[in-house]
Amino acid sequence: MNSKRSVVANAGDKGTDTEQRPLRARDGLSEQDHLEILKQLYLARYFDVRLIKEKRRGRLRGTLYSSHNQEAILVGTLYGLRPSDWISPIHRDMPAFFLKDLRGNWDNDDRMGMSIGEVCAQVWGRATAPGRARDNWSHIGDASKGIICSTSMLAGTIPVAAGVVYDAKLKGEDTVCLTYNGEGSTSQGVFHEAINFAAIHKLAVVTIIENNQWAYGTPLELGSPVEDVADRAKGYDIPGLIADGQDVLDVLDKTMWAVERGRAGKGPSLIECKTFRAYGHGDHDDDRAAKYRGADEVEKGRSRDPIAVFKKYLVEKGILTKAEAKKYSPEGKHANETTDEDFPPDVVDIMKKGVEFALDSPLPEASEATKWVFAEPRR
Amino acid sequence: MSAVIAEGTQTVNMLTAIKQALFEEMEREPGMVCIGEDIGILGGAFGVTEGLQDRFGAERVIDAPISEALIVGAAVGMSMRGRPVMAEMQFIDFISCGFDQIVNNAATMHYRTAGKVSLPMVIRGPSGGYGGGGPYHSQQNEAWFAHSPGLRVVCPSTPSDAYGLLKTCLRDNNPCIFYEVKELYRKREIEEQIPGGDYTVPLGKARIAREGSDLTFVTYGNMVYFCLEAAVKLAEEGIEAEIIDLRSLVPLDDEAILNSIKKTNRVIAVNEAPMTCGFAGEILARVNEYAFEYLDAPPARVTRTDTPVPWVKPLELAVLPSVDDIYEAAKRAVNY
Repeated sequence: MNSKRSVVANAGDKGTDTEQRPLRARDGLSEQDHLEILKQLYLARYFDVRLIKEKRRGRLRGTLYSSHNQEAILVGTLYGLRPSDWISPIHRDMPAFFLKDLRGNWDNDDRMGMSIGEVCAQVWGRATAPGRARDNWSHIGDASKGIICSTSMLAGTIPVAAGVVYDAKLKGEDTVCLTYNGEGSTSQGVFHEAINFAAIHKLAVVTIIENNQWAYGTPLELGSPVEDVADRAKGYDIPGLIADGQDVLDVLDKTMWAVERGRAGKGPSLIECKTFRAYGHGDHDDDRAAKYRGADEVEKGRSRDPIAVFKKYLVEKGILTKAEAKKYSPEGKHANETTDEDFPPDVVDIMKKGVEFALDSPLPEASEATKWVFAEPRR
Repeated sequence: MSAVIAEGTQTVNMLTAIKQALFEEMEREPGMVCIGEDIGILGGAFGVTEGLQDRFGAERVIDAPISEALIVGAAVGMSMRGRPVMAEMQFIDFISCGFDQIVNNAATMHYRTAGKVSLPMVIRGPSGGYGGGGPYHSQQNEAWFAHSPGLRVVCPSTPSDAYGLLKTCLRDNNPCIFYEVKELYRKREIEEQIPGGDYTVPLGKARIAREGSDLTFVTYGNMVYFCLEAAVKLAEEGIEAEIIDLRSLVPLDDEAILNSIKKTNRVIAVNEAPMTCGFAGEILARVNEYAFEYLDAPPARVTRTDTPVPWVKPLELAVLPSVDDIYEAAKRAVNY
């Protein structure tokens, strides 16, 4: 049934771009950068694992859309951005909210990204959440931090991103906006309307497609006539790159090439990151997903854990010894099989503080429910 | 301020009044952007934006591709960073193609962000029937948006109100759907002088288009003139109708409706849109809640039939409200 699909293992470097791509962001990374990237991968995984456990214990409302096995896409796309750049994460990208502008900035809650405490407050539905918990989970944003608030309607943030970048361009700023989408989003009309406009006006909108092979219960071949959704870029005469979504540095290289190209005024790009969805669409779908996806497909799709892929690279580069690489090893494990010992203590600690902040925060008052339907006039 | 189009004492039609408001606001707000289909090079399908691009440049007056969802979404992106945006729907019927971006994104943004993000944006476009436009160039779909909390919904009936309300909406900090009745764009009989100074009209304040003591028509847009015509006929029989021109539906001037009913004790709500769940129905529901004890006759409504708007004249006129429909409803109320 899934014969057409190239699962992660086959992700190649084809894409539709014919331009030279000399820029390799990885060449500019220090040893410390490499270790920071690893730590961010651990953090993204730990955040997800912790929430999966909390959800199973019935402590959280709403639906958890796990980012497990897709963390390299989030870390790799965000690591090279400037603080002033914008992003629009969607449902499977919860860690993106705190990974933005996190580099070397873990203790700074004023950075141009959300704090883990704020994101936890959102998950726990507290009044300290960015939108005071008026919409659930990933539906948060903060214009002052360059984060577009999404809705449930997929691809709906891409036109907004086009507007954000158009505005920045008029102001003479070289702001770039990354929009995140699943491969399923590429079937939405607004996906095409927005990329079309961004291409016409050469707007620095970089559309990240997390192609995890499944749009809820529908496989790629029933949602797209092209095997590589990057090929959709051809119609807009923009680069369509394919990245190995399990390889954080491949994602980083390709993102930064597209980002710098956008910054130089050359327009938008589309980057398809090949990956595989670890669990069901949402936690409510885990049991059914086990039926509509064969065990061998899942095993293959999860065979290249992004943490393992990056650790192998670090050992080869001599940045980690084999013993150091083994010390914290959540890779390849189901969330339920992991323990705190699988993660570095500072990662566990920052999440612990985030959860404490959430639990110490009050629920919003019922009297707030009818507030903020309208804004006051500007003058 | 440049009075580029109309000089002080000149009377203008509604289209010119709207154009003038746009020019003045673009001048006043150097950051303001207009986006829409054919609004630049062509100057708009109806000519509302004629000359705007020559004056303010193609970066601020954007000829968009035929992509209503993009137009609205991009307006959201620009306005969330504080830039006022006018987004034109070539015909208000086409707004359905941008529906999700309006009702799910723009309308809820301020609410979802607990007041942190505001969207100073106006979506305006020509609306209404009687011109032989058929199902997709004749709609008055304001009820869709009045039903989506977070949107201002405005429909003026005079050049001055169109001018003053458009200015108010462009200076507001909320997404607004602005209905321009295209049958009124160039209607000679309603040409008037726009009040001088920096004239604006407040939202949520109705206008009494005709004073009367025997019954109240609550209406807006083109129907104001249908009610005026019916009122002339009624006056010949000694029945004096009061006409409330709502001008803005959201927010709604409940007080003006109540005060009028206290005086006349009879009410007819008139809208050009279909009956079921139309805005006239909303008015009657409210009247039942706050003015029931003042009523001497059952409140009634006059609307289009629950059908699409057909193309050829006999069919079109058969479904849209007529002066006679309004007159007869008034007579029934008075004779009750």
